[in-house]
Order: sequence, then C-alpha cells, then structure tokens
Amino acid sequence: MNLNNPYFALNRRRWMQAASLGSAGMAANMSKISLIGQPAFAEQLQRSGKNVILLWLAGGASQLETWDPKPGRLTGGPFATTKTCIPGIEISELLPRMASRLHRTAIIRSLNTKIADHGQAYELMDTGRTKEPGVAYPHLGAVIAHQLAAIDSKVPDYVEMYTSTEGRRKGTAGYLGARFNPMFLTESMIPDNLTRQKSIEDVDHLDRADLQHFLSKSFRHRQGNLAVDSHATAYQRVRGLMASDYLFDIDREPQSMRDHYGPTQFGEQCLIARRLVESGVPFVKVARAWWDSHGQNFETHQELCADLDYVMSALLDDLEQRGMLDRTLVISLGEFGRTPQINGSLGRDHFAQAWSCTLSGCGIRGGTVYGKTDDDGRTVVDGEIDAGDLFATIFKALGIDIDQEFMLGSRPIPIVDFGSKPVLEVLA
Amino acid sequence: MPCYTINPEGNSFSPPYIFFFVDCMLRSLLSGTFLFLVSMQSILSGGEPVDLSRSIDEILSKSHLAEGITPAPSVDEASYLRRVTLDLAGRIPTLRELRSFIEDPSADKRVRLVDRLISSPDYAFHARNEIDIQLLNRLQWNEEWRAYLLKATRESRPWDQLAREILLPDKLCREDKGAAAFLKQRAKDLDVMTNDTSTLFFGVNISCAKCHDHPLVPDWQQDHYFGLARFFQRTFVTRGGLIAERFDGELKFATTKGEERRAKFMFLNGKSIDEPVATFSEQEWKDIKEKLKDLEKNNEAVQPPSPPFSPRQALVELALEGGQSSLLAKNVANRVWAQLMGRGLIYPVDQVHSENPPSHPELLELLASQLVDNHYDTRPIVRGIVLSDAYARDSAPADPNQPIEPHFFAAQVPRPLTPFQYSLSLWVASRNPELLPGPQKPVDWPETRERWEKDSERLAKRFEIPDELFQVSVEEALFLSNNPQVESDFLHNRPDSLVSYLLPLQNQTQTIEESFLNILSRSPTSDELSNLIDFLNRKDQPRDKVLPQLVWAMLTSAEFRFNH
Repeated sequence: MNLNNPYFALNRRRWMQAASLGSAGMAANMSKISLIGQPAFAEQLQRSGKNVILLWLAGGASQLETWDPKPGRLTGGPFATTKTCIPGIEISELLPRMASRLHRTAIIRSLNTKIADHGQAYELMDTGRTKEPGVAYPHLGAVIAHQLAAIDSKVPDYVEMYTSTEGRRKGTAGYLGARFNPMFLTESMIPDNLTRQKSIEDVDHLDRADLQHFLSKSFRHRQGNLAVDSHATAYQRVRGLMASDYLFDIDREPQSMRDHYGPTQFGEQCLIARRLVESGVPFVKVARAWWDSHGQNFETHQELCADLDYVMSALLDDLEQRGMLDRTLVISLGEFGRTPQINGSLGRDHFAQAWSCTLSGCGIRGGTVYGKTDDDGRTVVDGEIDAGDLFATIFKALGIDIDQEFMLGSRPIPIVDFGSKPVLEVLA
Repeated sequence: MPCYTINPEGNSFSPPYIFFFVDCMLRSLLSGTFLFLVSMQSILSGGEPVDLSRSIDEILSKSHLAEGITPAPSVDEASYLRRVTLDLAGRIPTLRELRSFIEDPSADKRVRLVDRLISSPDYAFHARNEIDIQLLNRLQWNEEWRAYLLKATRESRPWDQLAREILLPDKLCREDKGAAAFLKQRAKDLDVMTNDTSTLFFGVNISCAKCHDHPLVPDWQQDHYFGLARFFQRTFVTRGGLIAERFDGELKFATTKGEERRAKFMFLNGKSIDEPVATFSEQEWKDIKEKLKDLEKNNEAVQPPSPPFSPRQALVELALEGGQSSLLAKNVANRVWAQLMGRGLIYPVDQVHSENPPSHPELLELLASQLVDNHYDTRPIVRGIVLSDAYARDSAPADPNQPIEPHFFAAQVPRPLTPFQYSLSLWVASRNPELLPGPQKPVDWPETRERWEKDSERLAKRFEIPDELFQVSVEEALFLSNNPQVESDFLHNRPDSLVSYLLPLQNQTQTIEESFLNILSRSPTSDELSNLIDFLNRKDQPRDKVLPQLVWAMLTSAEFRFNH
C-alpha cells in the first residue's frame, strides 16, 4: 500500500472496514488488501498531468469592479462596462485585456457563501466547508495534490506564494497527512532549505543520503508500516526537489517572457507558477493581497485590477501558446466579495451574499456566465451556489471523482461537502 | 476566593496516597529528588504493579492463542532500554546509561530501570511535553501553561485533579493560572470548547451529533451534544484575560425534524442535573449583569464573581462519578496504552462508543480500574505496561512473511517520535558522550535537562505532532538535509560534540561501533559494519570531513525517527 497512491483513501477505507470486522481471516496479508484498492488505470491516466493555478485575491475583490458590474445603478460606482469577445457578456472596463480573452474563461456570478468575516470566510473558501471541531479538513491545494500528484514526484506537489501579510496563513493537508502540506513561500521567491549548504560538496550530500537510505532500508523492510514507509518517501523526494530549484528562478526566462508577465511581483510569481505547472506541479496558489477596500474602493480597484488584468491575461496567453491551457485550470477567487452599498469613505465592505469568481482553461466551457444577481447586485436571483458547489465544480473540471469518501475512523467524509453539486453549465 | 486543595473528592486516602501527599508537602519545603525516590518506592512497590504486567500478558496470550498468532520475540536489553527511555524520559539513553544497563548482570534490572526513570526529573518534563501537545495541540505556545503543566507533572498530580484544574481554572490559586490556557484558547467558540473537551478528556468526538443524531452510533444524539455544550455556554474570557462564568443563560437547538429544544445540563452518559433556582432580587440581577458586562468589555482589573451554580463545576463532578466505568478513566487508560503500545485498545482513541468496542475489553477494564484504584495516578499503570512482555516485544514479527495486525498487540508498533522526543534525542545523540551523565545524575540534573528543553524548543516546533495517520513531511526531510542549523547544532566539530569524540578514535570499526551505540543505541550488524567501513574507505577524505556525513546519515535514518 503506497501512501502516494491517489487512492490511498479508498485503500484505507477498505482496509479499515476489513480491520473493523476484526476477523482472523484478515490475518495480515497486506499485499492482498492493497490489490483491492488498485486505481482504475484509465482514470488515473486521464487525470495525470492536470494542474491548477489559484489566483487568490486576499481581502476580497469587488465583483462590481470586476466580473459583475452594475453600471448606472446607485451601487454601480464610477466605472463603465466593456464589451467582451463574447456577444452579450460585459465586464468592468477595468479588465480590458480579460474582456478580449473571455472565450477561455467562465464567470460565476452567483456565489452566496454567507460568511462575511475574514477568518471564517478563509476557512470556508480554503476547505469548501464550514469549520468543524475535531475534523482537520484539508485545504483545496492539498486535496488536489493528493488526487493529482504523481507517485514519487520529483517536483513539489503543492506550492503557495504568499508574500503579502494580509490574510496570510499556510495551507494545511489536515487529515490527508503532512505528505501533502504545501511548500510555503513568504519572504523569498525560493523555498526554504532547497539549496545545499556551501560547506558540503554535492557528491558528499548525495553519498550521505545513500548511506542514510542503506541504514533505513533494513529497518523499513522489517516493518511494513505506513508511517515508517513515509520516511523513505520524504527523503527520496529531497534531491528531486532540490533539483527543481531552477523552477523558481525567473532569470532563466528570456527577457521577452518576463516582459510578457510584467515587472510586478504578482506577475513574476505567476511566471514562476507557470514554470512549476509546466514541470508537473499539480497545485500552485499565488496570493495577491490588499483588496480589502473599506475606503477608497475605486482607486484601489483601479490599481489592483490593472495588475490582475495584465497578469491573468498574460498567464492565460502563455499557457495557451504552450498548449497547456487544456490541462491547466486557472481560478481567480477570494474569501468573499464587496458590498454593493458604497460607504461614507467611498469604500465597499465585506459581502458574501452575491459575489463572483472565474474558472479558465482545463475542463471549463469558456465564454460562459453562470448565475445572476439582481439589478443592484444585492442578491443572487439565479443559479445560487455555495463554496461546496464551487469545489465540486473545480474537482469535476479536473476529472476528480466527486463521490469519493475518506474514512476518519468510522466516519465517512465525502471529498466535497454533503449535498454539493458541480455547476455543469460551466464545464466543457 | 477560596483556592483548590489537592484533595480530589474528599475520599479517604489509601495509605500509599498519603505517602504521596505527605511527600508533596515535604517537597515544597525541601526540594530534592531523594524524597521523591522514597515516595515512589512507597507507591510502586508491593507487588501489585507486577501483577498488572502479568495480567496484561495473560489477557493478550489468551487472545493470541485463540487467533493462532505467534507473538514477536522479546527485544534485547539495548533495544528495551532505548524504547523505555524514550517513553519515560522523552529522549534516547546516553552512552553511559546504555553501557551501565547492558553490563548490569542482575535479574531485576528492568524493574529497577523503570522505577528509576519514573522517578527521575526527565519523567516530569516528558509528561509535560506530551500533555501540552495533546491538550493544547499547538493552538498556542504558552509558557505559563507549560510552567503549570511542569509543576503538575513534577508533583505527579493525578488525572482527576488535572481535569479539575484545567476545566475549572477560575477556582485555582494564582500560581496555577497557566491551567486556564486550555479553555482560553477555545472560549470564543462554544463548539470547539465542547468537542475538544469531549474528545480529549472523555475520548468522545461528538462533533457529528451537533447537526443530527449520530448516524452510526446510537450513543450520541443531539441532546448529548447540546447537553455537554450547555456546561460551557456561560463561560467567557474577561477583558483582563480570566476565565469566568455568567450567572444565567439558556441554550436552544433545532432537531433535524425542526423541533426547537432547550438543552439540559446533561453529561455524555445521559445523566443530567437541574439548575438550582437562583434567589437574587431584581436589583441584584441587574447589578450582576452590569458587572459581568463591564468585566467582559471594559474592566481589566476586577476579579470575576463566582455564580452560585457553576455549570463547569457540575460537569466535572458528573464526569468523575462512576469510577472505573467513567469515560474519564476509560479515556485516560486507553490513551496511556496507546502512547506506549502505538495504538489504543479503543481505536481511534476519540471513538469511545458502543459501536467501536475495545480490542480487549477485559484489559481496558483492568487498566481503568487500576487507574481509579490509584486515584488517577497514571504511574502505576505506566509501570505495569512497560514491565509487561507485551511492551517488550520486537517490532518485527517472528516470521517476516506473517505480519501481525497491530490490534493484536503481538508485536510492538513502530511509533514516530513526538516533537520533543525527536529534538531532544537528536541533541543527546550528537553530544560528546563523555560529557553526558550515566544512570546516576548530578545534583544539577533538573537544571541541565531544563536547558536541553530550551535548546531543543525551536527544533521541536518544526516537527509534526504524530497522529494515527502520521507521515514524515518533505519539509522535515528538506530541513534536516539542508538547513544550516542542523549542521551547526549536530555536525560541528566542537569539544562537546559527538564528531569531536569520534575524531581521535583509533580505527574505522571502533568509530562505527561508537557511532551506532551513541546514536542508534545498538551495535552494528556485520553487514552494516562492512558497508560503513567501505563507505569510510571509499570516501578517502579527512575524518573531520567524512564523520559528519556518517553522523548525519544515522541521525536522520528511519530507525532513529521512530520508537520501535
């Protein structure tokens, strides 16, 4: 039974069921048990090579200044709309580049996630469920890493770039286990401990790892224990990960490509994200913060939307030109949207009743809009969905089976929250 | 405000308990380990705990026979020493401790070892670290809480008292205020406070029963969930950071059928109590409410008033009823077993209910009754377990082609080291062994150990808290492979380091033998010896360059990472 097996959960479930029967017949032929859980090979093939870039708009971007504008209404603000390349669909004039590339993107305008407090909303949008004491739910990136990462992958399987401090918190793999925790970049563009110390030569670094492997091998073989096996898995990945440090080095990109993404930090991080997914990293999150515009909402969005529009369209263009867009899902999402009501400081406050996000690329029917809000953007009038539905949609777009369950003790936990349904209308 | 005394329930004390009691008082006057040793002798001698070891083995043998299982053989002296030192002292043995134990020819040396370890200062430190991660689970690194726990474990406070102090910190003396961290970290969320208390003290993860009656377990219904929550519902943190309780408050919930119900004060076993009618006048109520509001929002200085009826106190009284069959006794006994044997008799440890019976009910019953007979002092059952044959079995089965399922307890389960076990062991393993003590510790040993704890703290915080689905993280592997701290703390050639001790050794064989004993607490096999000699010869580098590589490979090996 291999921990990296995407079907670990199912293996484990069967194993636990068998174990809980307490039968003597269970008597411990582990290999027999793991055979039951062999993944359907074709399905695994279909999912392999897919990956996700999550553009995390920390603080909560305004849907009215992005994907669901309400021009001419009291709630609409000063900006006009712009026509897009899809007849009948208009978005904010602050996103002109995205407007001309909307054929690859689906807009969802009908999120109603109810929670408008940063802390709780993060938890909801990180895991697709409301927090529950006693259950450590994994974050989206960990679930996707668990589902899509190649066995013994040579590259990281979950990277988070979170340079700004607003809303910064490290993703967690929760009950999936530390194998799927993210590589978390905050201060530097290169992950910690990826580079060999100067005091040890490369050949010695390799030799001592071989020696460690030799010493551990005899120990491991007499155990046949998942936790013990995970030691070898973790150390076997070290050299591969160290060798992947060049992925984080954008100096290796030609100047034309760097110009394409622009000189902003967000742009550079998205270029790194593309380098990562190109090399097989299944999940990369890039956080772009400071959307929490309680005051001066319109100046804020003028500035931030320019960055988002430039970088997001550069990313989609680049992915498409490399033929990677049909296997890369790009998500733009925050913890909530902003109030239609404009406050006294010309700001917009937290708002979770009717807001938007986008999905582009892999598995997505581009050029679609799903859901509708009322004329002032105060409520969802058509196609209301919640966080669980969005997660189901994301999984479905990637070909991940949404009927899977994890067993926590005797308790089955479905991969998406109870009752969640994918939005089929935005799926290709 | 009156402070708690040590007296847990006003029961009459059995003689050993009085010894313990007197000892605690004496030690507060004259601190010193000698008296502590005397008290341990009083508690633990008398044959009974060895009876416990025998009973454990009898119960398990019966089930092995019935299942046709051949248990794994016993481990050798060195492996036993490593295992039990990790479990009772929270670190690997020093080279001197190892040599002294192996060379000791006496027949009762394991018993003497265990008694020495249980009464050593290391035991209290280790117990503190384990209780800290179990109860606070890194919600916060809290020095006051850790200091409280260390005081409690040094005084060997029993679990009923710990439960009392941690759940009723508002009734404690100032010096024990650290106990409040458990509730303070959770007070703003009633569900977290309810479920964490239920899980950690009673072994019952009841979060499922919040929204509906438990679908699989008839034991746990919404009434239980909200019944338990009601004991916590009036708890809040004052502006001054103290745990306090309001004087009134209802808790209503909607059943799945949409019926609105008012929660009773009901414990998990279904026992409920009625709140006595308060006899305040209207004006008094008004004053109380204002005072409480003031405490919560504005006033930092004032001590909160105690309500005439404290729901949390009522909960503690209910929870402590019922002796060995109480959920607290069962949970503590099960968790002690799980900690030492790698798996609970009830597994997972937070699923205590009728649909998930213990693998060996008779054994759990025995441990719980011994725990209660010893007034919730866990040391006698710890002693009984580690002196059993079951504990001392190899983690490799007798026949490698016949792996043994862990719930039979016929082989030890390899257990990942907990954060402090690992960081302290890395520390011990990488020191110059000539500078480390043997079984007889110097007078300043508690201070030395405390310094080790401080030095290991930063590293300990990096390691995952092991749970039932533990995996070694890539982050850990990368850290130990490339972080400069690893090199400077464990691999440098300094007078106090293992590398400096190995440098002058005469030949390769001796170098390898000494590294193995010091780090892995055993001698190398012939295969390992020849491979490692080969490694050293092949590298053909100066010893100060190649020895750190050898030491690193052993320190980071799977064998070192686990208690096996």
